Amino acid sequence: MTALLEITDLSVDYGEGAGSTHAVNHVSFTLEHGEFVGLVGESGSGKSTLGFAVTGLSKPPARVVGGSILLDGVDIASLSQADLREQRHGGIAMVLQSGMNALNPVRSIRNHFVDIFRAHGHVARGDWASRAAELVGKVELPASVLDRYPGELSGGMRQRVSIALALSLEPKLMVFDEPTTALDVLVQHAVMDTIIELQKKENFTALLISHDLGIVLESAQRVLVMHEGEIVEDAPSRQILEKPSDDYTKMLLSHYADPRAEVVELPGFEDRHRTPAAAHPPTVSSRTRRQDQKAIVVDHVSKVYPAPRRGEPQVTAVDDVSFTLEPGQSLALVGASGSGKSTLAKLITAVEKPSSGSVRFGDLDVGSLRRGQFRRLHRDVQMVFQDPYAALNPLHTVEYTLTRPVVNFTGLKGLDARRRVLELLDTVGLSPVEEFAAKLPHQLSGGQRQRVVIARALASNPQVIIADEPVSMLDVSLRAGVLALLEDLREQWGVSLLYITHDLLSARVVTDNIMVLNGGRVVEHGNTAEVLRNPSDEYTIRLLDAIPNPGRRDVA
Amino acid sequence: MSTQSIPPSTRAVRAIEEASIAPAPSPLKVVLRVASTVWSNGKARIGIVILGLFILVAIFAPLLAPYGARQNGFDRSADASAAHWLGTTAAGEDVLSQLIWGSQISIFVGLVAGLLSTVIAVLVGLSWGYVRGFGADVINFIVNLFLVIPGLPLMIVIAAYLSGGGIGMIIVVVVITGWAWGARVLRSQTQSLRSRDFVTAAVFSGERPFRIVFREILPNMTSLIVGNFFGAATAAILAEAGLEYLGLGDTTVVSWGTMLFWAQNSNALLTGQWALLFAPGLCIALLATSLTLINFGVDGISNPRLREGKQR
Repeated sequence: MTALLEITDLSVDYGEGAGSTHAVNHVSFTLEHGEFVGLVGESGSGKSTLGFAVTGLSKPPARVVGGSILLDGVDIASLSQADLREQRHGGIAMVLQSGMNALNPVRSIRNHFVDIFRAHGHVARGDWASRAAELVGKVELPASVLDRYPGELSGGMRQRVSIALALSLEPKLMVFDEPTTALDVLVQHAVMDTIIELQKKENFTALLISHDLGIVLESAQRVLVMHEGEIVEDAPSRQILEKPSDDYTKMLLSHYADPRAEVVELPGFEDRHRTPAAAHPPTVSSRTRRQDQKAIVVDHVSKVYPAPRRGEPQVTAVDDVSFTLEPGQSLALVGASGSGKSTLAKLITAVEKPSSGSVRFGDLDVGSLRRGQFRRLHRDVQMVFQDPYAALNPLHTVEYTLTRPVVNFTGLKGLDARRRVLELLDTVGLSPVEEFAAKLPHQLSGGQRQRVVIARALASNPQVIIADEPVSMLDVSLRAGVLALLEDLREQWGVSLLYITHDLLSARVVTDNIMVLNGGRVVEHGNTAEVLRNPSDEYTIRLLDAIPNPGRRDVA
Repeated sequence: MSTQSIPPSTRAVRAIEEASIAPAPSPLKVVLRVASTVWSNGKARIGIVILGLFILVAIFAPLLAPYGARQNGFDRSADASAAHWLGTTAAGEDVLSQLIWGSQISIFVGLVAGLLSTVIAVLVGLSWGYVRGFGADVINFIVNLFLVIPGLPLMIVIAAYLSGGGIGMIIVVVVITGWAWGARVLRSQTQSLRSRDFVTAAVFSGERPFRIVFREILPNMTSLIVGNFFGAATAAILAEAGLEYLGLGDTTVVSWGTMLFWAQNSNALLTGQWALLFAPGLCIALLATSLTLINFGVDGISNPRLREGKQR
């Protein structure tokens, strides 16, 4: 049996001439009929570029500069745009990360299917309705969604619709480019299950592109690991899991662990056998350095947003939550999206006001602060944002960004302020400091940007840092570094940390205590290791189950 | 012409950014890059050339014009001849000379009124977009008032009220009637930018609202403001010509608008002197077109997808 897809010596460049970047570098691999293959790599590894090249969707500035892509013995590169359109029927289909946003909001789901049927004419007009219903049935949606509009469906449902649309042309090869990355953790798990089931039933060949080795190992039979434009490892999943040969694969694997395990070790984190008694207290020196450590007290707080549309019920984002964040403590707030964890962060930082209950920081009533009084709170309570690409003004240098809070909160000026800025850069591990101070955000990598964001949060020498998903936008290999930095700061500076995340593994390694939120309510709280090892609430168990775990297949 | 800047946020783009870490660009380089972006757009290039020619003519009017603007005593209503390329007016003035001198007024009014209404639009639009509550409602009411009243009638009423003020009066009238639209556009963009993380982060850095608006938000909408300026300048040139054509300006000043006014008064078309109406009309249209064309290129600065000739 000949291979379905045969890629030989493929190279893709961005740009031309001296300034060009080799995104894909002499890559060769084959896909057999009916195989489920994963393609793993971090951002910038060229995996999406490769995916686009395979589907013939490469757009300038990307150019295929060498090699061949044979689908059933036909070279894709030699096909014209018109032939390529024909080819899509019974050929290659692609599901994109943002596929769920590719649906036209003013047309019903049915119209989307009809468009494809009409363009390709492969389904008789009389069978349109039944075929569309059959397709949405395959992705486990009821036929009634056909008359809905994309805006009425959830993200997971829309992604399922886009998978069904891709299926409508009976492709031999389906390319999934990060199909679940933009979805909520729990939904992610369900959509992945559907994809795996589908592949078994329909027997198409699947290429799953993902940054998450856990997801790929869980679903694919064979895994290609991509690093800096080259495929560094090509082996069956089990072999990758048990005896990876390439150092890069080993590094990726080392960042996965089961948060339920007795001992959790990640690079940069030795397990500290957390128990309530042995939780690391801030070092004595930092205790004495601070005169008045204050706790954040959240007392029966609720936040109700008005109804989004007339006739709909109000939205209760946070429902009667109480907790205390003691000085030097680290607390994880976990939950799926919509659980109210980010709203809680906004209430604590006075970005929003509680509908009932109170938030106090020392003797400061946070809920009643007026705009002009924010400085009093932000001197001590600072925030690390989720998206380092959005949290820095693209037009300001790192030095300007860091100088402002230094000037505003510490009153230092001129050279003193500059010295403090350089000191901060050194603290977050960005050296040479002078060089980094002069850079603009776009000249920094994601991890470096997040360090700048952390440095800015430290500028006022705060007592509390609220970190809202600080690593979810970063590559696996960068996450450990940022988390270790937060951890060090807590221990050395005696800063208390409120760590908001959906990622239970990172919560396990950086926090002492945990609170699990569901629908705005606290469903479980306690010592992090204990809660994760012996979860009592069903929601916590579901969250734990949703974590992609390379080793799970052995468990099952 | 209003564009929303689309942040390059896909992983692929980020990968490229990270791959090519360049030294920090100097301000001069940024200006050059912006200029070359505008210049790379074919339409904008035509616009820049036309605008450049008009500006050169305005500056060098004393050298270029064969006669003075108000110099009369030539044959009245003469047809085109070697001495008078575009003929003469009913008052015996040289049309070509008037056209050349008149360009000064149109360009001056366009640039000054465009600049002033942009400044007002920026001040009002940005603070309006940033404040919430009662203050925003008050500004909303005032801006809506200016938007809802038809422009030309309002201009005529104000111009009649301030009659006899000359060019200064015309600039005031154009600015009063022209700022509201820009303020509305800039307010929308401010509202969209104010919810960005880096603005929230600035609040956490202890920044005062004034500084957040003008140091964090304003620089991120430069291209929109520049676009607004060219739009406002176009509107100002057309409004100035319109008001003067209606005889509401100082009719003794020579501008393209007053040329049209006098041409109409002397029934130039009936006497077969089409150049009297046609030449200033064409100049007004060309100048307004050139500014609009430049705006196509300005759009490309903030939105790379609109850059032409780089796709496919």
